[in-house]
Amino acid sequence: MKQINRREFLKTSGAAAAFAATPGAAFAQGVGGGAPFDDYRALVCVFLFGGNDSFNMVVPRSDAEYGVYANARNELAVAQADLLAIDPLISDDVLYGLHPSMGSLRNLFDTEAAAIVSNVGPLIEPTTKDQFFNKNVALPPQLFSHNDQQDQWMTLRGRNSSKTGWAGRMADLIRSNVANQQMATNSSLFGTNSLQAADETVAYVMGPDGPQEFAYMSSDPADGILYEQAQAFGRIIGAEYTSIYERGFAAVQQRAIDSAETVNAAINSAEANAVTAYFPQQGPTRSQLMIQLETVAKLIAARDQLQMDRQVFFVATGGFDSHDDQNQNQPGLLGDVSESMAAFYNATVGISIADSVTTFTQSDFGRTLTSNGDGSDHAWGGNQLVLGGGVKGRHIYGDYPLLQIGGDDDVGGGRMIPTTSADQYAATLAKWFGIPDVDLDLVAPHIDNFMQRDLDFMV
Amino acid sequence: MKSKLISLLLASLLGLAGCGGGSGGNSGPPPPPPPPVPITQAEAYQFLNQATFGATPAEAQRVIDMRYEAWIDDQLRQPPSLQLPHLQALPPPQFMFQLQPDRADIWFRNVLHSHDQLRQRVAFALSEIMVVSQLGALGGQPYALASYYDMLARNAFGNYRDLIEDVTLHPAMGVYLSMLGNEKPDAARNIRPDENYARELMQLFSIGLVELNQDGSVRVDSQGQPIPTYDQDVIEGFAHVYTGWTYAGAPQFQDVFPTPTRQVLPMQLWPGFHDTGEKTLLNGTILPAGQTGEQDLAAALDNIFEHANVGPFIAIRLIQRLVTSNPSPGYVSRIAAVFDNNGAGVRGDLGAVVKAILLDPEARPAMPMEIDGKLKEPLLRLTQLWRNYNAASAGGRYPYNFAYILFGQGPLQSPSVFNFFSPFYAPPGEIRDSSLVAPELEIATEFLNTYMANYMFCQAFFWNQNPDPSCGEITDDTVLIDMSEELAIAADANALIDMVAGKLLAGQISTTLRSEIAGMLARLPQDQPAFRAAETVYLVVTSPEYAYQR
Repeated sequence: MKQINRREFLKTSGAAAAFAATPGAAFAQGVGGGAPFDDYRALVCVFLFGGNDSFNMVVPRSDAEYGVYANARNELAVAQADLLAIDPLISDDVLYGLHPSMGSLRNLFDTEAAAIVSNVGPLIEPTTKDQFFNKNVALPPQLFSHNDQQDQWMTLRGRNSSKTGWAGRMADLIRSNVANQQMATNSSLFGTNSLQAADETVAYVMGPDGPQEFAYMSSDPADGILYEQAQAFGRIIGAEYTSIYERGFAAVQQRAIDSAETVNAAINSAEANAVTAYFPQQGPTRSQLMIQLETVAKLIAARDQLQMDRQVFFVATGGFDSHDDQNQNQPGLLGDVSESMAAFYNATVGISIADSVTTFTQSDFGRTLTSNGDGSDHAWGGNQLVLGGGVKGRHIYGDYPLLQIGGDDDVGGGRMIPTTSADQYAATLAKWFGIPDVDLDLVAPHIDNFMQRDLDFMV
Repeated sequence: MKSKLISLLLASLLGLAGCGGGSGGNSGPPPPPPPPVPITQAEAYQFLNQATFGATPAEAQRVIDMRYEAWIDDQLRQPPSLQLPHLQALPPPQFMFQLQPDRADIWFRNVLHSHDQLRQRVAFALSEIMVVSQLGALGGQPYALASYYDMLARNAFGNYRDLIEDVTLHPAMGVYLSMLGNEKPDAARNIRPDENYARELMQLFSIGLVELNQDGSVRVDSQGQPIPTYDQDVIEGFAHVYTGWTYAGAPQFQDVFPTPTRQVLPMQLWPGFHDTGEKTLLNGTILPAGQTGEQDLAAALDNIFEHANVGPFIAIRLIQRLVTSNPSPGYVSRIAAVFDNNGAGVRGDLGAVVKAILLDPEARPAMPMEIDGKLKEPLLRLTQLWRNYNAASAGGRYPYNFAYILFGQGPLQSPSVFNFFSPFYAPPGEIRDSSLVAPELEIATEFLNTYMANYMFCQAFFWNQNPDPSCGEITDDTVLIDMSEELAIAADANALIDMVAGKLLAGQISTTLRSEIAGMLARLPQDQPAFRAAETVYLVVTSPEYAYQR
């Protein structure tokens, strides 16, 4: 009798059905019986909106491979001599370099704090070029479309209709383990996002430098009219409303009232202020990304005050959709990523929490290797960065493809088929975060389709 | 209520009389049609919050007097209030970006004070569908942005086919989605056409990613999967169509410094940069080789325009911007049918579409159900307040260039071509669980809602003579609201609440909101009219019921 394994079950019944059936038990109990965690861990997602041209971020610099790269990229190619050499612990005989604007990150790579995961992207199952063109492989829908592929990276939903994100599902899984936390497991400094969307928990959205508090209101009865104002405001928010839109709006206001004061007190604490020394307080490197990461560092520094054990932060920056003027804009974009992530890492070292904080990038997609004259177009696989004391750094994980137009990994114009899936990338991070192996398919629903459940880039 | 009952009674009596007359032969003239049921203040407000930048008592009276259809017909005839002439009348700035505050200023002037309210509201809706943005390269092209918005306003009641051609050839869009300067393939240089505009015109402006039924539902294949409207070959086909265009009068094809004139003229074809090969379009259409750039463009836009998705796609987008987040399939079908044929055999008549959207029974529910209506966008919450309270700055301007920071959105200030929020956004909880959407809730975050509430506090309190340093200095550019009518009656709590609720809520204030405001007014001395008026306005404009468009 044929045994139906889980993978086939997911394929035949649709992952959505499996999803609907399982959460009840797993999501209600928490992981490992629901006991509180005995340590602190934070994941920081740096989302690069628009689609980072990451084959210019990590570039082969051996003559033969560089020649293939330069031929594909034409005027978009970074000059061989300008690449910042990196020195992986294990070499595949090809030498690699980082974009010349990423000096700070290169240093973190060589000191084993940072690693590269190469040619990763949304997949439902391992995919070859033949399968792609013969249409006998399940593919994520709407490849090469911004919002759909952002959604794939954030939700890993493949072709099912789930609306939750993988960080949201992690928060749901551990919610009984973190019952004492004073703020939500998921928080965003860059607006609403589907990475953190969940069924049972709600992500908290603050501004780049923290929450906004309702001015002219107070939770302290001694403050008289300001206290009365807050009470009246709260009763208005708490009233019964007939429309779903009023109720949705009121729910946001309620969360804003509930959290802002506590979170701001943490951000303004002495522990939090200690991290500002690691961030430029003025000048061109004080970017929006830098400001967001400084705020994250402050919240991590004040984690005890907020009784936080597990957190996922969402920060982001845009401008990566380089259809035009790529050579003019890319140095600034990648330089910002490098400087901001490095400052943040140094801050976590400074407050002795680096081993418990992992920063990782995601982006809509990689970009075409071929040029449209002065830029590149939407593609698929790309390279990502992971950084932190828990990262097995100074490695390039996955298979860095030969950047050959028309080669085995190219589905046209230099669109690389990912050789590592976003599910594997997320599952590796989720496992480090504390999700048991048995529950990883609830976080990364297609993980069972891949041989390697854990890319082994985390300790 | 009384008059409504009487007219209902009259109608039924006349109906009975008609029956009796029928049995006695056809002597005498047919009975006059029953007089229409008068429009109530609340109904007029509901209508105007869909059709303008905020209902006011004066405009509500016009709707009550004219009735909906005549009001719409009058609006359809109003010429557009424009932005570009205003910018062109100003002295040229040293740096182009310095004119962006003036662009924000003329946008606010038009939406607050102009008579072409419906046209402006539809132009705003179109600016959130066919998005270009000041954030990016167009920050240095204020004339292009003003001209683009004017183009939307001119086309708001025109034909959709003309609209997408004007959008396609506008240099603001050319810059934003990089069709401007897009070249034919060059094997020697290993380059191929830019796919940006090809993709987004289809995905976001016209047909969407998946095939739709006429009622807006998604068509699925035998495996239950949505059917894509196009594939990469089609995108590449259109990308080749959109080659060869750059600024009108540019000295070279790749022009990097557009003059004010080049910012506003439709793009011009440079035939040598246009690809003349065969091109694959939608629905298996193949454009023959050897056509001119103009021929290719016309055929390609026709190909999109004729796609069956456009009707339901545009119907849903416009209904969501004007009336409700969750139109029923029947509502979408009715509007898509008007898009397909305006009654005179014309496809794409946007004036007819807008009129049908507003006159549809689903837009005019007597008692809104819990999924009817929508959340008001932040800018619309603001403009409704400003229109009712004659908001003005000492200098006469509204230079809110940073609206996108203050309110989370501003005119042509979207963070990307995907607009401030997604038409598919479903917040966690009952809305998502019910497979409903609430697009505007995507930017109603804890952060932005609080930011806006604090702005409203400054607006109501500080900027009306209750200084507080946290609200900043009052300058010639600070927009103040005029609460003089409230100040005159502020000692009387009930009269004060009635007045503010009348202006902002058509008097439909909930018992909770009324009693909470009354409770706060009881703590504020009667000889402090400015505080009392401010408190009342503040609690109304930050309330869920004000944020809700019924």
